[in-house]
Amino acid sequence: MGNTTMHFEGIYTPVITPFGEDHSIDYDAFAAQVQYLVDSGVQGLMVGGTTGEYYVESHEERVKLLEISKQIAADKAIVIFGTGSINPDHSIKLAEDGAKYGADVILLATPPYSLPTQRELALHALTIDRAANLPIMLYNYPDRMGVNMEEEFFDRVGRSANFQAIKESSGDINRLHMLARDYPHIQTACGMDDQALEFFAWGAKSWVCAGSNFLPTEHLALYQACVIENDFNKARRIMSAMMPLMRVLEQGGKFIQSVKYGVTMDGRYSGEMRRPLRGLNKDDKRAMSQVVKTLKTTIASILAEDSAEQ
Amino acid sequence: MTDLLTLEEYQAVAADLNPACMSFVDGGFRPSVSGNTFESTNPATGELLGNVAACNAEDVDFAVQKAREAFEDGRWSKLHPGERKEVLIRLCKLVKRNSRELAVLESLDSGKPIADCESIDIPEFIHTLTWHAELIDKIYDQTAPVGNDAIAMVVREPIGVVGAVLPWNFPLLMLAWKIAPALAAGCSMVVKPAEQTSLTALRIAELAMEAGMPKGVLNVITGGGAEVGEPLGMHMDVDMVTFTGSTVTGRRFLRYAADSNLKKVVLELGGKNPCIVLNDAENLDKVAEQVVAAAFWNMGENCSAGSRLIVEAGVKDALLERIKAHARDWNTGNPLDPQNQLGAMIDAGHFAKVDGYLKQGKADGHDVVLGGETDNGTFIQPTIFDGVSNSDTLAQEEIFGPVLSVITVNSYDEAITVANDTEYGLAASVFTANAKKAIRAAQAIRAGTVTVNCFGEGDITTPFGGYKQSGFGGRDNSIHAHDQYTELKTIWIDLSDDAVDGSVD
Repeated sequence: MGNTTMHFEGIYTPVITPFGEDHSIDYDAFAAQVQYLVDSGVQGLMVGGTTGEYYVESHEERVKLLEISKQIAADKAIVIFGTGSINPDHSIKLAEDGAKYGADVILLATPPYSLPTQRELALHALTIDRAANLPIMLYNYPDRMGVNMEEEFFDRVGRSANFQAIKESSGDINRLHMLARDYPHIQTACGMDDQALEFFAWGAKSWVCAGSNFLPTEHLALYQACVIENDFNKARRIMSAMMPLMRVLEQGGKFIQSVKYGVTMDGRYSGEMRRPLRGLNKDDKRAMSQVVKTLKTTIASILAEDSAEQ
Repeated sequence: MTDLLTLEEYQAVAADLNPACMSFVDGGFRPSVSGNTFESTNPATGELLGNVAACNAEDVDFAVQKAREAFEDGRWSKLHPGERKEVLIRLCKLVKRNSRELAVLESLDSGKPIADCESIDIPEFIHTLTWHAELIDKIYDQTAPVGNDAIAMVVREPIGVVGAVLPWNFPLLMLAWKIAPALAAGCSMVVKPAEQTSLTALRIAELAMEAGMPKGVLNVITGGGAEVGEPLGMHMDVDMVTFTGSTVTGRRFLRYAADSNLKKVVLELGGKNPCIVLNDAENLDKVAEQVVAAAFWNMGENCSAGSRLIVEAGVKDALLERIKAHARDWNTGNPLDPQNQLGAMIDAGHFAKVDGYLKQGKADGHDVVLGGETDNGTFIQPTIFDGVSNSDTLAQEEIFGPVLSVITVNSYDEAITVANDTEYGLAASVFTANAKKAIRAAQAIRAGTVTVNCFGEGDITTPFGGYKQSGFGGRDNSIHAHDQYTELKTIWIDLSDDAVDGSVD
């Protein structure tokens, strides 16, 4: 591996981790979720992302989730393995095991809390790169990590061809402009669900979207309209129908809880959250269910209209 | 320059190298947009040096865009001349500080003998850059004599974004010949090193940033001719292309310019250079030494190589004996061994081409009076063919290898006729003790550089380039090179009474 170029195109689902009532991982439910996503036609799975609650999982648990995902996804979807950790040494070990257990790509985030400089971040990233020697999707999420990946960082990691994509979750549209204009070799992946249309307009071809855990068809529909058909009028209508969900997810303050409830509504087991998170209350659940119902109906009608025209 | 190391010490330095292989754009290393790479190998051993970014038109476009932004906002082009000078001088110091690493990298990448890299390529790189840097704040614009009612200023401004396309025979030196005057003039650059020899140019770009050169001013795009050279030549936003390489490729750049934005083109192309030795030449030992250097230096992979020895019959045998004696001292082998004067040919394809000339020369019945042997598909011994006629392939085609053809003539006039009987006109040498003949020969030979009683290319203070199909549009080195990276502008200021009155309102 190494120096293999990935073309990040499509919907990449950051898979939830179902926990049982005793808060241990329900691997069967996880496998069922992965199987569902692969059958739904998403192009990739992200294991050990924020939505998967990686920060409260052990190294062994994370590696096991990778193994299960690889087994089910086989060659039908690529598997991106998260290496995020507050402790850089843990990230390096995760990167090594990512390569060992067949990850196609590693997700490389800034370590939270330590507030490294751009030079320190770059050296950290290059160390992780050496440990895995796999294509890398960077993960920029300053709200959770406290730092941004800045130009100096991108310039310094350029020596390695493995840095191929970035999941941009800052919400700062100016960063998207900077990435698209100044770093064309780094493929942008939308990591901010409510800005998907903007990302696609600037040439992103992939979307790491938590909502696809339970609405893969609808997320694929937006990807299809933007990237495959380049029909931004239709895409705007689909996105508009999705915006209430995006508000719940990105602006509601209960991101993971909402995604997990979405999976439950869809009839699969999503289980508990690990602490400190708690499940949605009754009112949140009612609102969420209303939003999802409306969204599905509206997008179905847009897609039906489209197929009627053909 | 420090003293030479031993082979083992050079090998240790080589083992420690970790060359950057990505392109260098806007102040940082970047993989190609496509993510594709190609292998860069040591021509002497076949060992992999790195996977270099295989860029294409998309990368070129991006680099040109960044170079254009840098040029337009004036971060370099409008910088105070003294500050531009300071940055370039700092770069020279950094190159000096890293000279050993650069010399070894150059030798590994190009197959050049380490002794040459240490004693010629690196010092000359520094010298060239220093000279042009020092020139920056010592050139004055002009005013024209237009009388008292006007002031006419004739000023030079940097031409803009310059594409520089480099050959593989002197990767660092040719880089200096292009970037030194262009950067000194205030231009922004997109450099395309030869595919075979990209590594030292990338390191220089990195050092330039360390020296304080602003982002986007010096960009290096690696890749092939069709993928990078052509898009650069065809680019509508490149103001000038400067190229050193083959005549065939040079023609393409003229076509690209005509088919795109009529960008200015400067070409430094091939040569089939005569080395004339007349009967009255003095000190045949020295002459022989010079002839050998002219023919075999840098494995003959040199556009100014003296590959045709045109010798008057009266002195021929005595000279040839001495040439053979001197040439036997030139060892061929491992480029990292400081005992060797000839290293490896640049790659297998080129080796096969030169080997083809050796075989053809033998088949045509020319006498091999020295060498003619090849080794490992990489090394070619210095070779001398006697009994060559100037119409033979050996005397007309640029071989770009250590192959000397000896043509015997019977008079001064015949020597000049033969010397000029070539489509090229880059360089020439004349050896004679007669000053009048020397000067007349220098005047009669149609070549950009004529040296008398020595072989050489002049130095940084003298222009280098070719007549006929050896060049087009300009010269490397000297103040003339600096000027070619500028546009001439006239500023006419009316001082007549009417204009003064009008402008005061």
